Amino acid sequence: MSRWAAALRLTGIGFFIAACILGGILAGLWIDNKLDTRPLFILLGLAVGLAVAFTGVYRMIRLVIDNRQDKENNQ
Amino acid sequence: MTQPKRRGCLGCSFPVLVIIIIVFLALGIFGFLSGAIGQELLQKYGVDIKFPDWMVIGQPEPHLPAPVLFNVFGIPITNTLIASWITVVLLVVISYVVTRRMKIIPGRLQTLFESFLGWIFDLCKSIAGDKNARRFFPIIATIFLYVLLNAWLSLIPGYGSIEYTEYEPVATHTEELPAGGHEGEYTIVTKDGVDYIEHRHELIRGANTDVNTPLAIAIISFVVVAYFGLTSLGMGWLRQYFNFGPLFRSLGQTFKGKLNVMGIFSGAIDIFVGFLELLSRFITIISFTFRLFGNMTAGEILLLITAFLVPWVLAIPFYGLEILIGFVQAFIFSGLTLVFITMAVTPHEAEAH
Repeated sequence: MSRWAAALRLTGIGFFIAACILGGILAGLWIDNKLDTRPLFILLGLAVGLAVAFTGVYRMIRLVIDNRQDKENNQ
Repeated sequence: MTQPKRRGCLGCSFPVLVIIIIVFLALGIFGFLSGAIGQELLQKYGVDIKFPDWMVIGQPEPHLPAPVLFNVFGIPITNTLIASWITVVLLVVISYVVTRRMKIIPGRLQTLFESFLGWIFDLCKSIAGDKNARRFFPIIATIFLYVLLNAWLSLIPGYGSIEYTEYEPVATHTEELPAGGHEGEYTIVTKDGVDYIEHRHELIRGANTDVNTPLAIAIISFVVVAYFGLTSLGMGWLRQYFNFGPLFRSLGQTFKGKLNVMGIFSGAIDIFVGFLELLSRFITIISFTFRLFGNMTAGEILLLITAFLVPWVLAIPFYGLEILIGFVQAFIFSGLTLVFITMAVTPHEAEAH
């Protein structure tokens, strides 16, 4: 893939991180309100959201890193 | 051959340049004084200059949800919908006019559009490759042109300044009216002894400033990605998202008596990765929608506010900025769609290398 493609791909990272963390916290909040266990599931949701965000971002930028390493190896 | 000595600068002679500068300065000073900042300063220093009504700009009231102008068969028609119809009609007219008399040696108009579309086609080729570029080009170019024209048309004066007034009798109004009357988007007027609520809306508003338009394009782009992925890779495309195969295989081996802990573990990780892919696919819709919507709405409000603070002059540089932003947003929207389609048609194993 060209540089454009890689650059365009990375424009979604911010939204991905935000959505993952927000989704985790909101899900935790919802479960907490149902079970009356605040703040256990909020923290749990935050942790899961952070983990998912980190993994997703790693997978996204791995493509770019791999591209560059291929190029350097070819030279 | 010597160049004839050119007098003047910026392509016009000195007197003309001086006149232009004076006009701009006058516009700037009068605009500054009649705007919100200037009025505030004048009042502070006790200078009381009354400007005529047409020079004073009222405080802008941006509304996020697009107001419904009227209903057709129960379908609400909003002002942003009208703007998007104008865009569609304009696109059709432009393409008819340009392609009506195609020539081998193109004229000016044809050259302009050929080079523009050629640029989009080259973009397709550089990302999707020669073979696929022809398949993807129509949808990419459509998204690009639609978003671009929506953004640029909303900069034309008249978008947002032509108002549509609607009278509703007070008696039939069910919601409680806030006190004041001038607050918000209505005033109460009396005609023939009956009180009416006067709703004032913009007749046309840039289609991208309604969250439904970007959402619709984002969903179209999602469906297109799914369509190309399914037709090119078949079940292989779905397997990226629902990867239960390795886990069930390892579980099957376990039932046969061969305990395969690593297999089960990596199978579970595969499912998690698939879930992550699915999640990021749906987050893409959200990010597409809000990126376009946010940029366009912020631009609209920015222009309103600059025109309110210092009328006539300050908004001009921001118009340039908005033209650039409209282009960049159209480019990002169509380019990202292209990238995702390309990824969807590329087999997963090949992509990793």
